[in-house]
Amino acid sequence: MSEEAVHNGHGSTNPVEVMNDLLEKGSGQKPLFWRITALLGLLTVAGIVGFAIRLTSDGLGDTPKWGYHMALFALILTAVQGAPMVAIAPRIAKAHWRRSISRAAELFGLVGVVSFLIYIPLIWVLPSMTDGRRTLWFYGELNVPAYMPQIMATLVLVSLVVTGLSLLWVSARPDFAFLRDRSQGRRRKWYGRLAHGWIGSSQQWYWQKHRLGILGAFYFMMLVTVHFNVSVDFGMALVPGWIDALYPVTHAHSSLQAGVAITLVAMYVFYKWGPYKEYINFDQFWGLGKLLFALSLLWFWFWFSSFIIFWYGAKPSEEAILDLLMVGPYLPIFFVVFFLVFFIPLWAMIWNPLRRSVWGPVTIAISVLIATALDRIRVYVGAFSVSQHENKHQLDSIPDAVLPGLPDVLIWIGGIAACVLVYMLAARFIPPINIWEQKELKLYQVHKKFHRTEVQILGKPD
Amino acid sequence: MQEHVQLTQKQINEDLLTSVLGTPRWWWPALGFFVLVFLIGMSAFGYMLNQGVGVTGLNRPVFWGAFMVNFVFFIGISHAGIMISAILRLTQAEWRRPITRAAEVLTVFSLMSALMAAPLVHVGRPWRADLWVFPYDFARGVWINIRSPFVWDPSAVMTYLTASTLFVLIALIPDLAIIRDRSTGLKRKLYAGMALGFRGTPRQWKLQTIAGILLSALVLPVFVSVHSIVSWDFAVQIGPEAWHSTIFAPYFIIGAIHSGVSAVATLMVVMVWAWGWNKYITPDHLDAIARLLIIVATAWFFFFFLEWVFALYTLEPAEMAMRKLQVFESPWSWLFVVFLFTAYFIPVPMWLFRGVRRSLFWMFVTTILVNVGMWLERFLIIVPGLMRRSEFIFDWGSYHPSIIELAMVAMTFAWVGMGMLVFTKVFPLIPLFDIKEGMVGRDEIRIGRRIVPASIRE
Repeated sequence: MSEEAVHNGHGSTNPVEVMNDLLEKGSGQKPLFWRITALLGLLTVAGIVGFAIRLTSDGLGDTPKWGYHMALFALILTAVQGAPMVAIAPRIAKAHWRRSISRAAELFGLVGVVSFLIYIPLIWVLPSMTDGRRTLWFYGELNVPAYMPQIMATLVLVSLVVTGLSLLWVSARPDFAFLRDRSQGRRRKWYGRLAHGWIGSSQQWYWQKHRLGILGAFYFMMLVTVHFNVSVDFGMALVPGWIDALYPVTHAHSSLQAGVAITLVAMYVFYKWGPYKEYINFDQFWGLGKLLFALSLLWFWFWFSSFIIFWYGAKPSEEAILDLLMVGPYLPIFFVVFFLVFFIPLWAMIWNPLRRSVWGPVTIAISVLIATALDRIRVYVGAFSVSQHENKHQLDSIPDAVLPGLPDVLIWIGGIAACVLVYMLAARFIPPINIWEQKELKLYQVHKKFHRTEVQILGKPD
Repeated sequence: MQEHVQLTQKQINEDLLTSVLGTPRWWWPALGFFVLVFLIGMSAFGYMLNQGVGVTGLNRPVFWGAFMVNFVFFIGISHAGIMISAILRLTQAEWRRPITRAAEVLTVFSLMSALMAAPLVHVGRPWRADLWVFPYDFARGVWINIRSPFVWDPSAVMTYLTASTLFVLIALIPDLAIIRDRSTGLKRKLYAGMALGFRGTPRQWKLQTIAGILLSALVLPVFVSVHSIVSWDFAVQIGPEAWHSTIFAPYFIIGAIHSGVSAVATLMVVMVWAWGWNKYITPDHLDAIARLLIIVATAWFFFFFLEWVFALYTLEPAEMAMRKLQVFESPWSWLFVVFLFTAYFIPVPMWLFRGVRRSLFWMFVTTILVNVGMWLERFLIIVPGLMRRSEFIFDWGSYHPSIIELAMVAMTFAWVGMGMLVFTKVFPLIPLFDIKEGMVGRDEIRIGRRIVPASIRE
């Protein structure tokens, strides 16, 4: 093996070859891709039809009818907008295994636009604070507008979406420049615009790394803030007597958990059906699997920390909350959530053959995503169902579970299809494997002889 | 980790065994000071046993005072060991190597201090402490209640103490073998017994590594459960204001990590000053722990913010009265300001400067400040919460710790200092084998004109 080859890792692959290989892989087109895209487009239209039916039949004033719509928004916010954190956190920790994952996770930032579109009707669905409920905004005590929850939630959600898009753009700029230099005509013009004059100077690289760090930290802060606002103003405040200081954190934590899960699923799709098998390997599934396992344990701790206070304290107002959200009409859903989000990940991930496989963590990820969807239904459909309760300080009676109607089913199918559609189209035009990070890895990775074996040496710059 | 000095195994042995094989001049006076404070505290304890808890400042309605604050504080400090050792070991952070043992030992002695503060001293009748574990007279329903969180405490704390002690012992075995090989007579026999026949065979190393990883993974749930349970001592109650909150478990845990990691940083500085181990604990290590502290402190502050927001969200008169007491009425108001500034607003902005992060003096000052603030935080949760300054309550009261109590509080701190000093005389405070492993596994890569530090991937 030549010195150059040893320095840059196994085989003859060097940074330039990696770039050429990834650009070539990204340029292929399959008819199946466009067929799936068309199908997803149709399903999205079905969702719009569902929304139109709900709007015309019930209007925006009947809050309980919009519970499933709210749950869909919460699910997309939780899973899709938590995913970019999978790129941000390991990048800050300088973990090399993240390099094949980071772009796939950042692409979800673009899907955040769908989440915002689904959110828009909820601005009118959420009642004003004049109904006398408890709120974060001290309405009546301080001189704040009656629609403060809507104003703040919109502001922070827009900030989150814009930050997600900025993060994707800053991270993909060098790759846009590679694409600009290798394409012609209209594509060259578009990639040139997106690359925004990137020539790879030392100064550009310096600023790019700094911007990624700052945007990452800001994204995390915005994510926590959005979950704080949404979980309190669109959930907790609507349920008389529900005071749970930990719930916003639990909500944000679920976002990190579902973000890891959805990234795992996306990675598996690229691994199984995309041409990227050489770049995605066991390391990525192992790294994300461990993270998912830890987050599942943390879920239990957050849930139990809330539960034991309500159960042990046994105040009537708190027992009513347990009745509504856990042991009452939504008991079957809660039971399935508990099983899928904690029990299965715990027992599956301590089983060696499953943990040390590619399919194992992906199966757990699917289980977590289903659980997240059900959990959002449990909380938001339950919360919206009691939003018109007379007594604003305690639940006096627990209503029956609200079952989804045809418009709700169509909205859910359409919303999820729209997310997948946007993601697929984004991955078609933006390289789903980060080219510059892969090139960088080749520089930091060296194989050396160590006593009687060969070991991998990984550089960790400051 | 750019500043690196490659050391030989011989040099590492010589440097790090100085505390065990030699006695610095300051060691005896330092030990004497801690023993004196400890004995004064024990005398105060004896006086309290003889005269009753009336000699303390505890009285209706504030029956939890400085002892309980100390209990929570030391449980918090004890989180340092597992945070530094288990989590950084599992995440393979290289900078953990020189500080893991000190953090683990701090955990063990802090837990002992916590046990001393609550079951031994606080109850006033320590011979009844065992009844929390074996509540024989529960059936009468007049005394011990097995459903009380106070029964959960001993099992959680004792499990944590057992696991932490095992953690220290397992990691000590290779170092004990080194000391065995360098000593003679009775000392050699003692170390040989403790080294459990360790010869450094591949199988022994493998078992030692597996035991370390398994203990790291198994001790983490215990680590989380201990302070959660301590927080539930408060949070499951519905009587005292501001305690009945779901956020207490994570809020206490993150506060404990803030406090514990700060204590480890203080200890790192003391180790450099006392033994001159600046080749092992470098400004890079301080820099790394200060960066970790910025994240931990900010996370803690977020939980503090949530706790306050949701207290105000309730708009319940009793809750509001308690918050008003904390913020606007002396002496609580100025204690509150001191707490906030020492725990967050002074240290965190200072840690943003590289010069502060890499300075022994400033890291010592800021981390001490954090622990002053964190002690006050617990004080401000416990005491005003019990004062019942709300309407239609006839027995408003306040609390001032007596000199007897303060002597016993000082005793628990002296116990930790004394324990750490004695430990360093018998065992190496920096793990020799871990440092050597770090030296062997370290490398450099040249990229263009730059040399980048690298390590062998395990």
